[in-house]
Amino acid sequence: MNRFTELLPWIVAAWLLAVGLYGMITSRHYVQLIGCLSVVQASTYVLLLAVGYRRHAGPPIFYTHPPGTPAVDPVVQALVLTDIVIGATVTALLLALALQMHKRRGMLDPQELRPLSR
Amino acid sequence: MNALLTVLLLMTALTGSGVALTRTPRRQVMAMAANGLVLALLFMALQAPDVAFSELTVGTAALPLLFLVILASIRMDRSPRDGDKQGPDKP
Amino acid sequence: MTPRLRLIIFLLACIGLMPAFAHVAMRMPSFGAHPLPYGETINAVATKERHVTNMVSAVNFDYRGFDTLGEEFMLLCAVTGITVLLRGTRGEQTSARPGVLEGRPIRPRSEAVMLICRIFGTLTLMFGIYVALHAMTTPGGGFQGGVIIASATLMIFMGETYRGWRRLMHSEILDAIEGGGATLYALCGFASMVAGKPFLYNILPLGTPRDLFSGGLMLIENAGVACAVAGGFAVTFLEFLEETRAEKEDPE
Repeated sequence: MNRFTELLPWIVAAWLLAVGLYGMITSRHYVQLIGCLSVVQASTYVLLLAVGYRRHAGPPIFYTHPPGTPAVDPVVQALVLTDIVIGATVTALLLALALQMHKRRGMLDPQELRPLSR
Repeated sequence: MNALLTVLLLMTALTGSGVALTRTPRRQVMAMAANGLVLALLFMALQAPDVAFSELTVGTAALPLLFLVILASIRMDRSPRDGDKQGPDKP
Repeated sequence: MTPRLRLIIFLLACIGLMPAFAHVAMRMPSFGAHPLPYGETINAVATKERHVTNMVSAVNFDYRGFDTLGEEFMLLCAVTGITVLLRGTRGEQTSARPGVLEGRPIRPRSEAVMLICRIFGTLTLMFGIYVALHAMTTPGGGFQGGVIIASATLMIFMGETYRGWRRLMHSEILDAIEGGGATLYALCGFASMVAGKPFLYNILPLGTPRDLFSGGLMLIENAGVACAVAGGFAVTFLEFLEETRAEKEDPE
């Protein structure tokens, strides 16, 4: 049991990646597909922050604690922090593309998409 | 590995599966907001308050709203050419 | 490729990758005891070197400052793409009337919602500015603060309906805030070069740790990021909500 909880963060990250990809390949609606993509994104956040975690350590902010107190890794946190914000705008760009396709083709099913003929 | 982290990680896996396996886009938006909230709590438990801040705002407010707005404008179908060709987007 | 074939390939890939995943996961260092050479170095030296207490901001705006410049322009590109895609087909006309779905009754907004939105919209805006300002000391920074400021503007939409939102949000001003923020960040880098130091080198006095205005050049970079993120998200919200308005010009 102890061994399982040790592995849990990596299992959760892999599971989120797999279930997100499964949702994407079986999706019948582009907006739903983009939602599944956000699950895949979340798996990378869980993985990175789990790597940077340190047992019995505080956040990497030395306002009340003096520097030198055990703290978790700030580098991965900075990576994830910017990625969440930038990822949201990229997701918004994908949503705009989906809306554009609905306007041009009148449909949103990825399985029915054909290459542009015109 | 403490109990709080274990519970939050399991809840993350659960709500993430909820997002990916929900087929109706409008229901998926609510699942996404729940997933964002659990992720923010998990990041807080992983000692990352900065990341929790941005995940909380982006995951539970900004992204679900953008999805809802896009679904609304898809339903309104303002396209002049494809007015007769109704797509399979009606949930 | 049929959906069935795609699913089979996906499942085969999952099964094939399972041993590789198990191999890696079993050999990972124990959770919570990873060797973290970079993080530990920054935790040890950043307060002394850069006079800030929030290590995440120190990494974002100083040690990895050039990378954040790239992120900034990714944001700019994504928002520009959204604007071009949506406004390009929609046109520039601004009829401040929300579209309606046939057969859906329009209910007036209740006064309770208006009151809550007026109070909490202001409070959210204040909180966003607070978070953006306290980048160098406590959890916060331009990225989080900018998103919070942008979502505070959504309270206008919820409380004052589309008409009030359209009257207050002007695309020209928001575009200027967004582009100006990104430019400010880039100019910080060039200012260091003018002073004869490497790009984004901290040339301003660093101040005292735990002070709101510590960190020198990082403060200006943080302000640039806050403007760019707040403006970028507000433009995105505006462009998306414009898609739901009525197509024809309102005759009244």
